[in-house]
Amino acid sequence: MTERDSSSALQIIAPERPIVPLGFFAATMGCVALALAAPLMLDAYTVNVLTRSLLYAMLALTLDVLWGYAGILSYGQSAFFAIGAYALGLTSTHLGFSFGLATAAFFGSLGLAGTVAALTGWLGFGRGVTPLYVSVVTLALPIVVKQGLLSGGLFTGSSSGLSGFDSFDLEVDNWFRIGGVALVVLTALTWRFVKSDAGKILVAIRENELRCRYLGIPTTTVKIGLLVASAVVAAAAGFVYASYTVVVAPELAGFEFGTQVLIWVALGGRGTLLGPVIGTLVIDLASAELSASIPYIWELAVGLAFVLVIVAMPGGFSPLLGAFVRWTLRLLLGRHLRVRNETPPRLTCAAPRPSARVTVGVPSIEIRNLRRRFGSLTVLDGVDLTVHPAELVSLVGPNGAGKTTLIRCIADGAERSSGQVFINGHDISRSPPERCVAFGLGRKFQTATIFDTLSVGDCLRTARASHVAPSLHRRDPILALPRAALDVINATGLDKKLGIEARHLSHGDKQALELAMVLALEPSVLLLDEPTAGLTKPERALIGQILVQLVREHKLSVLLVEHDLDFVRDISSRVIVLHQGRVALDGSVSDVVGSDLVRKIYAGVQE
Amino acid sequence: MISHILDVVTSAAILYVVAAGLLIVFGVMRIINFAHGGFLTMGGYSVLAVSNLGLNLLVALPVSFIFGAVVGMAVERLVVRPLYARPLDAILATWGLGIVIGQIITLAYDRGVQLVQNPIPGAVMVLGENYSRYRIAMVAVALVFGVVLASILRWTRLGLLTRAVIMNEDLARGLGIDTGLIRFVTFSLGSGLACLAGALITPLSSVDPSLGTSWLVNAFMLVLASGASLISLAIAAVVLGGAQVLISSYANPVYGSMAIVILAALLLRIRPQGFARD
Repeated sequence: MTERDSSSALQIIAPERPIVPLGFFAATMGCVALALAAPLMLDAYTVNVLTRSLLYAMLALTLDVLWGYAGILSYGQSAFFAIGAYALGLTSTHLGFSFGLATAAFFGSLGLAGTVAALTGWLGFGRGVTPLYVSVVTLALPIVVKQGLLSGGLFTGSSSGLSGFDSFDLEVDNWFRIGGVALVVLTALTWRFVKSDAGKILVAIRENELRCRYLGIPTTTVKIGLLVASAVVAAAAGFVYASYTVVVAPELAGFEFGTQVLIWVALGGRGTLLGPVIGTLVIDLASAELSASIPYIWELAVGLAFVLVIVAMPGGFSPLLGAFVRWTLRLLLGRHLRVRNETPPRLTCAAPRPSARVTVGVPSIEIRNLRRRFGSLTVLDGVDLTVHPAELVSLVGPNGAGKTTLIRCIADGAERSSGQVFINGHDISRSPPERCVAFGLGRKFQTATIFDTLSVGDCLRTARASHVAPSLHRRDPILALPRAALDVINATGLDKKLGIEARHLSHGDKQALELAMVLALEPSVLLLDEPTAGLTKPERALIGQILVQLVREHKLSVLLVEHDLDFVRDISSRVIVLHQGRVALDGSVSDVVGSDLVRKIYAGVQE
Repeated sequence: MISHILDVVTSAAILYVVAAGLLIVFGVMRIINFAHGGFLTMGGYSVLAVSNLGLNLLVALPVSFIFGAVVGMAVERLVVRPLYARPLDAILATWGLGIVIGQIITLAYDRGVQLVQNPIPGAVMVLGENYSRYRIAMVAVALVFGVVLASILRWTRLGLLTRAVIMNEDLARGLGIDTGLIRFVTFSLGSGLACLAGALITPLSSVDPSLGTSWLVNAFMLVLASGASLISLAIAAVVLGGAQVLISSYANPVYGSMAIVILAALLLRIRPQGFARD
């Protein structure tokens, strides 16, 4: 158990308000009441326009979660909206309207949108594709859906769409109330989600997807799941849109509308939830008013504002709005509102998990005849090596010997050209990093690889996500970490910095944090790529001491890439020399460090 | 049969001309210029402006190129330069700029569709087939585009520096090359070419403020599928443009209009480098 020291951490903590469930609940209920009462206070025209805006705002909200939190830029949310809208239009036009049919169409459209989203995600988030490729796919999707609708002839109404079909018999005021309450509830639920521990995982994936995968998080699955959820909500909003307007047109699916949603989110402030919602309501309402009085100039102004926001104001207009709200509240309440900072989690020691992955007598790492070629260049040329449990093996060799490449080939099945790698007796075959992690592997990168905008506590919690499912709706006040990770945190003083954003840490603290994150995985095999690079002498000694302790007390096996021969001599149980892509020497510390070959390689002594 | 072959070749040529400006910007700057559609539209309207003044339509070619290049310079300075490190945001900002260009044109020329006279009217006998003279001319134009751009890259000092930037921008900067200048020149050249391309395709269709948008998506897909090389862009234009023509005539024009988008998306999934060699 560690006592947290809140006084020092609170000053630099992420500026985030705590979610007080009672206040949150009261605010939500207040908004619900407002949504129910608003039609009585507004004129008929505004109610009419705003009802549509409320549904658009739901669409914008789905995009904000994708783009603002998870970093998935989608031009195609419009396609899912159109799927929902056409579901009602088509059934009602061709089969007639009944409550049962409409309900079936509703759920059918959710299912279809989810399926299309899953396919889109499978296509867009595959291995080896660039981030730009997601844009290609989400751009292709609305174009395909729109062209499909255009080519549907009488069935889809082609370019004029469908209109005048029967729908639910409700007054405009009640449609407004349905849209308003749905938007408030959706926003509240989404708010809880993005501020929860699970929401932090989305940010972690955006910040550093590779690190997430090496923490055992199946990022592709998470992203596809998120896209599916967003598509289902978008389709539901589209369905209500068609029920209300009784008009559907192919333009709903087009990427022009998809980018319109992007503009609402950007102007409102991506990653703020409330910003995009308010942005959509304001811009859409203003568009309805101003497109008639000052045609083209209004669109021009929106376009200019969009360019300005993207170039110079990544937070959109939400910071201005926030300042305005605070100013108003101050006038009303007569005092400054105190922004309470979030309390960092309390650390506890997690019960060690029964390690089923390690079998006695099976080597931790076994590599057979591993080769890695880049085109005609052979970097690793038939490497065989074995690391046994509770061994600390150092991998040394000159620059370009293939050390980092070897580490990469052990941790990611897709990397090597040929040969076999076993981790705790499991053949990694072509497994992705998250599978290798499941076999008991932990990998620390050469440069400290952490999640810059997450707090230290959230970085560590993300590292535990593959063992302890993070909560979808709350912040857990307790963070349970395994003994080894706690040792590193306590020894380096990170326990006093749990609330600080990781990017504010010193270089040494970042290295220690990444090591603690990897240890939080409870690996039985640890790959470390130059863990002491750029560290001061005392930090170096501390890391060395921690590593020796890990091997001795926690029975970890460690494979370490290192240039500092003194460091290697102090801590290793065995040393392997990699030279020109082959294992040149493999033996005890004294044998290897004193050998002619090592002197030749490192001192450049010619024979 | 012959007419299909001619359709494929001329369509590929038109696509090549339309996508070339986008390609060099992406190749050098790694930025997708979504204002490309806006520049194409500007090119179309510069032809209209020249013809309204009663000048020879050939005058529109240098006018549109210079006009595009000058606007491109301003855009590079004001919008693109701050976004070098944020390529996804650069797509969005340039898309917004495309909207701005479209609205300004709408304010000046209204929303309606306008027609421009074809400077090379009539048909010509090619391989026993009567074929549009202008479309045949576009093949020559595409060849000129390709040869001129390749020569600039291959033989000039600017081209040498540009190739250095393409290969390793950090190293180039370290060697004292003004990479900002290279980016500046590249972007204005790309914008000029886009405007010129807009002027060149205008006689084939009509002019309206959304002229560029329909071409933009196909150009974007071609550029990504070509992996940013002038030769693979030609291959991409022939293969994907050819598929578009053939699917349109044998199956359905609507499927044809989706062909480039779908095929490019699938190709990039299977082969992320697209038509490029590696």
